[in-house]
Amino acid sequence: MSATASARIGRPPARKVKKPAQNLRKQLAENERLFRETGCLFGLKTLRRKQADPGTYEAVWHILLNTMDAAWEVGCKVSASPIAAEGGDALWGLHLPTGEAVCASKGITAHPGVLSIFIRQLIEMGYEDYPGIRPGDVFENNDPHYGGIHAVDFDGAIPIFYKGELVAWASAVSHVMDGGYITPGSIGFLNPDCFSDGVPVTMERVGEGDRYYPWYEMRIRSRTRVPDWVMGDARGRLAGCITIRERVIQLIEKYGLDYFKDVCREYIEDSRRYATARVKTQAVPGRIRKSNFKDLAMAGKRVILPHQHIDCLFNLPLEVRIDADARLHISMKGASGWVPFGENIHPSAIPSALLNAYSHIVGFDMFNWGSVATWNLETPPAGSWANPFPVNYYASSGVSWAPTVMWMSSLYEAFGRLYFARGFIEEVAAGAATTLTAEFSGTNQHGMFVAGLTLEQASNGSPARGMADGENSAWCIYTPNADFGNAEVLELYYPVMYIGRNIEPDSGGYGKFRGGLGHTAVWMVKNTPGIEYQCGCAGMRSKVTANHGMFGAYPTWPDRASYASGTNVKALIEERKPLVHERGSPEQPNLAKNIRAEVLETNVVAPFVTPHQLHEYDIIIHPISGAQALGDPIERDPARVKADLDAGWTRERVAAEVHGVVAHRNEQTNEWTVDEAATARRREEIRQARKARGVPFREWWKQEREKILAKENMAAAVLDMWRSATALSPDYGKELRAFWNLPEDFAF
Amino acid sequence: MPEYDVREIEQLVDGKLPWPRVQEIMKDAKDTGRFEKWIDILQRRVSWPERILLPLTPALFIVQKQKDRIVKCRCGHEFGDYRVNWKLYALIYVRDSEEKLAEVYRGREQPDPAWTQIREYYCPGCGTQLEVEAVPRGCPPDFEFLPDLDTFYRQWLGKPLPDEKEFADKTLDVIREWSR
Repeated sequence: MSATASARIGRPPARKVKKPAQNLRKQLAENERLFRETGCLFGLKTLRRKQADPGTYEAVWHILLNTMDAAWEVGCKVSASPIAAEGGDALWGLHLPTGEAVCASKGITAHPGVLSIFIRQLIEMGYEDYPGIRPGDVFENNDPHYGGIHAVDFDGAIPIFYKGELVAWASAVSHVMDGGYITPGSIGFLNPDCFSDGVPVTMERVGEGDRYYPWYEMRIRSRTRVPDWVMGDARGRLAGCITIRERVIQLIEKYGLDYFKDVCREYIEDSRRYATARVKTQAVPGRIRKSNFKDLAMAGKRVILPHQHIDCLFNLPLEVRIDADARLHISMKGASGWVPFGENIHPSAIPSALLNAYSHIVGFDMFNWGSVATWNLETPPAGSWANPFPVNYYASSGVSWAPTVMWMSSLYEAFGRLYFARGFIEEVAAGAATTLTAEFSGTNQHGMFVAGLTLEQASNGSPARGMADGENSAWCIYTPNADFGNAEVLELYYPVMYIGRNIEPDSGGYGKFRGGLGHTAVWMVKNTPGIEYQCGCAGMRSKVTANHGMFGAYPTWPDRASYASGTNVKALIEERKPLVHERGSPEQPNLAKNIRAEVLETNVVAPFVTPHQLHEYDIIIHPISGAQALGDPIERDPARVKADLDAGWTRERVAAEVHGVVAHRNEQTNEWTVDEAATARRREEIRQARKARGVPFREWWKQEREKILAKENMAAAVLDMWRSATALSPDYGKELRAFWNLPEDFAF
Repeated sequence: MPEYDVREIEQLVDGKLPWPRVQEIMKDAKDTGRFEKWIDILQRRVSWPERILLPLTPALFIVQKQKDRIVKCRCGHEFGDYRVNWKLYALIYVRDSEEKLAEVYRGREQPDPAWTQIREYYCPGCGTQLEVEAVPRGCPPDFEFLPDLDTFYRQWLGKPLPDEKEFADKTLDVIREWSR
């Protein structure tokens, strides 16, 4: 990467430059050698400072952790956009001079990886030599070609010098409200190529003396739609970084530079040891495989370029092999091809996704770069969505998280299975929920043009546990700090009114333990000449469900949104008639029952942008998914089913037909009573019915093989997916053909 | 390092431990004797004599049967060598039409059967729904977990198992047999 990247940077050949003071590039190579030769990061076979004085070691760690969270508080308060200021979609970190993250704030836990790689790239590209790294400098990157995830995540870093020596970096990332994409907002799934990926900041020094250059601000002003918010967020990032720098210098003065340098490296090695030990003491060696798929059905919808009128299905395969040393070997063999949408990702951003998952399920104690040293990630197939640039250097990464977070979800289930096998049932988590985003663009009630994200998607249900249901609307795959923001605050920014924000019944899959339920937001458009609603994909499924039927559960349903425009809502309000505050039945939705409208869509396959503007009194119903369930649904404790019936969190049909629970509602009290004897009989009938309708696998395998050969009932997107997956990973294709006993030259 | 009474682990497993206590267990360092207690609990709950080596799911276990290691359901049904995906010996029911899907998913909740099929794997002995897959036609069944049992017992637990087996996926051997 670095040679190509350096060549692209271009350096003035004749200019004399000052020799680097520290030669960080050499230090990077030395770090790698030490790890290779000793198996310990930085060659730290013993944690000397920890052993000598564990109390101070822990105390300093907590000072650093508090410093990061102080930076988060300062940064989010200085930031302007609701996504940072209200939702905290940001992160601040501290890094070694060579880039490895030491400590991170709360927030989006994927980013310590991206920020580490960003700083590392600055060093590998020789920035220490030219253009130089000086006190007060501000560097930024949002370019996926150089390790950024997607353009709206602005990665920033400032060097921390102490007595003339670069001793650390402070870093920050925030997700800005508008990336300058062709369509307003920040979830650029529609972007056909990188030329539509908005305003680029490519490994740049964007300021000095703790200030942004004027031309940086001029670029933001001319190339984003909400520049006050975008620049406000830039100042928030910088303010948080300066907070870190000031406090780290205070800490060095108190504990000494040598101590600071030593413990920072020890914290990273300590984290590596923790993640390794957790695998060795709580998991089992072997091979885990998990298929997963996601759709992106865009044929016939509003797109940017004509060739985007296609339906896509992504193959998101995960294979993990855990060896005797508890090291993970992770493969994405079988990943399908790049897509002409903003859903491709640079491979160097994938460790960040893994770090994100690790922050939830494996390496969350002393969370930093250390976990990265516990796995080997095989380079994803060249030309796949996970490594597009070798084949299409101009592939878009507008919302590259979309397939990646869904791939990552398989790691939750994988580790859930491992923890289950070892008996750590309290650590088991089923698969994750999806991320269906809602963005608005248009003129708001203050006369300001707004473009950007609501925070609804940051509050999914949490995955079912090994011995309990997940929690409702309290979890988010990309951050441990799930927060969907206050409705009243969001109403200040966007010209909509919440007329509903409800727990969605049965949205957590069906199992012995269900996933936490998601919720549905119902908005009425108000105080605007017109807005567009973008029901976006930051990791959703709408044609298929997740492959998360863990231990016999049914996965959560696909994400489908609803809206109505040209409605009679104003008249209904004046007549004091019922509006729509929740989705209602999947077959007879409340929108269709209560509202009359010129356009009334109750089951729209996501993602999409409304084909025309929405106006006063139009209605949007936006669902946020629950998480995945676990276990055979007919083993669900009838008392749990009753509790869900009483709370309105499940429906009678699901209770009876899926869980096999016979219950009756008391019309007066509205309370349900379970008929235990009838429930036992119903469940036995279900078991017998399964045995009667199930066929021996071998018999089905023969029949299915014929259907595959005939490509029977296989959507074009499915065939396209198999074609690219098997071509880009020939071994994967060979195994697939062998399983179905297909001819070696068989092509989908 | 905490250690817990096996009765408390049993309550935890059954979801009967008060949530604050579960949280304490989650936050504390992990107990080193958990696996032995877990196997003890599981072994007491089955009616057959074979030694459980590793649970795969709440219903399926890898057990030692004479010199073989096989997958066995809690009801006693046997699925064969643990290195072959046990799904090859299960009953399967596939929801690949709107009508079949409607028994579970209705209206806006229904996936598209041309894009995906819901595969239900049942135990032929007791009718337990063991796993559910949601994959497009053409996807081989997931072999979710193939444990390296000998490495686990020998190197991680320090209690080697008799009759070491090669750590290898044998599923395609069966397919080749079926294809003759």
